[in-house]
Amino acid sequence: MKMMEVTALSKSFDTVNAVNNLSFSLKEGRCTALLGPNGAGKTTTLEMLAGLLVPTKGTILFMGSNQADYREHIGYLPQQPVFFSWMNAVEYLVFMGELSGMAKATAASRADELLELVGMADAKKRRIGGYSGGMKQRLGIAQAMIHEPKLLILDEPVSALDPVGRRDMLEMMKRLKGHMTILFSTHILHDAEEVCDDVMMIHKGELAVAGSLPELRRNYLENIIIISAEESLDTWARTLERWTVITEVRVRNNTLELFVSDLDKARSQLLAEITEKKIPISSFTVGSTTLEDLFMKVVGK
Amino acid sequence: MNKWLVLFRKEWLEMVRNYKVIWLPLVFVVFGLLQPITLYYLPDILKNAGNMPEGTVIKIATPSSGEVLCETLSQFNQMGILVIVLAFMGIVAAERRSGMMKMILVKPVTYTSYILSKWVSALLLTFVSLSLGMLAAWYYTILLIGSFPFVDLAQGTGIYFIWISFLLTFTLFLSSRLKSSGLIAALALLLGIVLSLVTPLLEKWMKWSPAQLTGAASSLLTEGAAQGNVLLPLTITILLTALFLYLAVREP
Amino acid sequence: MGFSSINWALVAPLIGIELILMIIAVVDLSKTTTQTNGPKWMWVLISLFFSIIGPILYFTIGRKHT
Ligand SMILES: Nc1ncnc2c1ncn2[C@@H]1O[C@H](COP(=O)(O)OP(=O)(O)OP(=O)(O)O)[C@@H](O)[C@H]1O
Ligand SMILES: [Mg+2]
Repeated sequence: MKMMEVTALSKSFDTVNAVNNLSFSLKEGRCTALLGPNGAGKTTTLEMLAGLLVPTKGTILFMGSNQADYREHIGYLPQQPVFFSWMNAVEYLVFMGELSGMAKATAASRADELLELVGMADAKKRRIGGYSGGMKQRLGIAQAMIHEPKLLILDEPVSALDPVGRRDMLEMMKRLKGHMTILFSTHILHDAEEVCDDVMMIHKGELAVAGSLPELRRNYLENIIIISAEESLDTWARTLERWTVITEVRVRNNTLELFVSDLDKARSQLLAEITEKKIPISSFTVGSTTLEDLFMKVVGK
Repeated sequence: MNKWLVLFRKEWLEMVRNYKVIWLPLVFVVFGLLQPITLYYLPDILKNAGNMPEGTVIKIATPSSGEVLCETLSQFNQMGILVIVLAFMGIVAAERRSGMMKMILVKPVTYTSYILSKWVSALLLTFVSLSLGMLAAWYYTILLIGSFPFVDLAQGTGIYFIWISFLLTFTLFLSSRLKSSGLIAALALLLGIVLSLVTPLLEKWMKWSPAQLTGAASSLLTEGAAQGNVLLPLTITILLTALFLYLAVREP
Repeated sequence: MGFSSINWALVAPLIGIELILMIIAVVDLSKTTTQTNGPKWMWVLISLFFSIIGPILYFTIGRKHT
């Protein structure tokens, strides 16, 4: 079932078109990564979905309806979460829980549970003003989940964390995945590949590539053969460009990168030629491009 | 309503934690006490301060109780307004600047109840501060100068509170629209000062002016009855307060 | 009639309140989490040396919000 369906979403600030004609849907129970370079429009998109910004154009359907105020079903972590420095963690979570419509007692027990979950149980009575950046990020996640939302929207949840904190956060997202739908933005591909089911890449406010990870791998990732040698391969490379199984040849020093359409055929033909011409190769590697390569291609670098 | 209460409790807790609930009333009490004391000791102060030639007789008529309370009110009209505007200039703007507003509004609460929780708590604290200040002044006036009817005091303070509420609501409105606290305070004070200065000068044209309420409150204290038409400025002030409140709760 | 004749019982509350304001300001300033516009020591001096006005200035413009 579709949790959220977005059609032709656009947002412009004065002269800037931050988000342009974006359409996608989020499937229930899945984790979607929103990828894009700085300024791509990730935050703007997420803020519109969270109801903080009014779209210039387009519709957002939540669970099939576009009328109701669906804020009580979503949890949102902004890119830079802020807090009342004069509250402690428990007070803050209870406050946020009550705002989400929970009874005080329910909110209090849920707060304890969450602080345990995010590993902050021992600091829960300290004023937030004295917290470190990582602690605030954890508290930010906790406040987004206080009312057990159906959809969790996280804007760059790991970018402010150290490697350990990042690991913890990714593990937590993996665990949460079964219980709620997650949409999070990042520009770190590795994280997306690790925890997500679906990926959306946006660039300059427009949707560039979208699909599930296996789909993307199938449709966009290309097979590649990398050959290194002890001498320059320039002349040989020029002859390879004419082969039908090879779509693209890149030469870097003594290394060749060959994008191939049919891996088996290309491999046997290449190996035959290498033996025949006695090319002094030092390595022969078969692999595929990564999502990172796809991302770079989308971004146009 | 429920959510409003949660927000209201948060406002109140914040004012407790940043000591606003203590210092704001205390400031009004200080100014309330200061006026009767200085007026009472004025002759002594003058005698001790100046290099008067021997035998100079200082004759200063001891003011009446009503006059002392009226003086207190005009003190509140300067220092009091300044302090209130400074205390509440950031009431919305600070949370918008810090991003706290987004953290709150992403939860299922309306912008209206968010703003109203701030308005009511600011109004309540202002009312308590003003009342305590006037009660302190009243008590010392009775001790030092002479009795004064409580009913007149309550009426005068009440009318004056309407004027302060108007300025406070205007401050809240500015705070909901502008980012810079300095600009907010400057504009709010400007309105207060301009109205207070222009109203007595252009008496004829300014009968509706909210600043008429300070005059009405003063005459209530000194003469026991408000001079002139109070109903007109009272109605206008309440309408303007409602208008600014309405503008403040509309999302920009 | 000189200053000696001043009824100190009358003036005492005034001085008491001034002290309370001063103490609250300094206690608040002594907390590590409190943030100020401008250096803290300056606000401590202002609160201590300008009675009433000093603490008021600190609470209204010296203290950083949220
Ligand atoms: N309030 C605003 N007023 C004007 N322009 C804005 C505003 N908010 C965002 N923009 C512009 O919209 C574009 C997209 O910004 P957005 O914050 O959504 O990017 P992002 O993908 O989240 O980037 P980052 O990775 O740096 O967080 C940028 O060009 C930005 O300058
Ligand atoms: Mg962003």
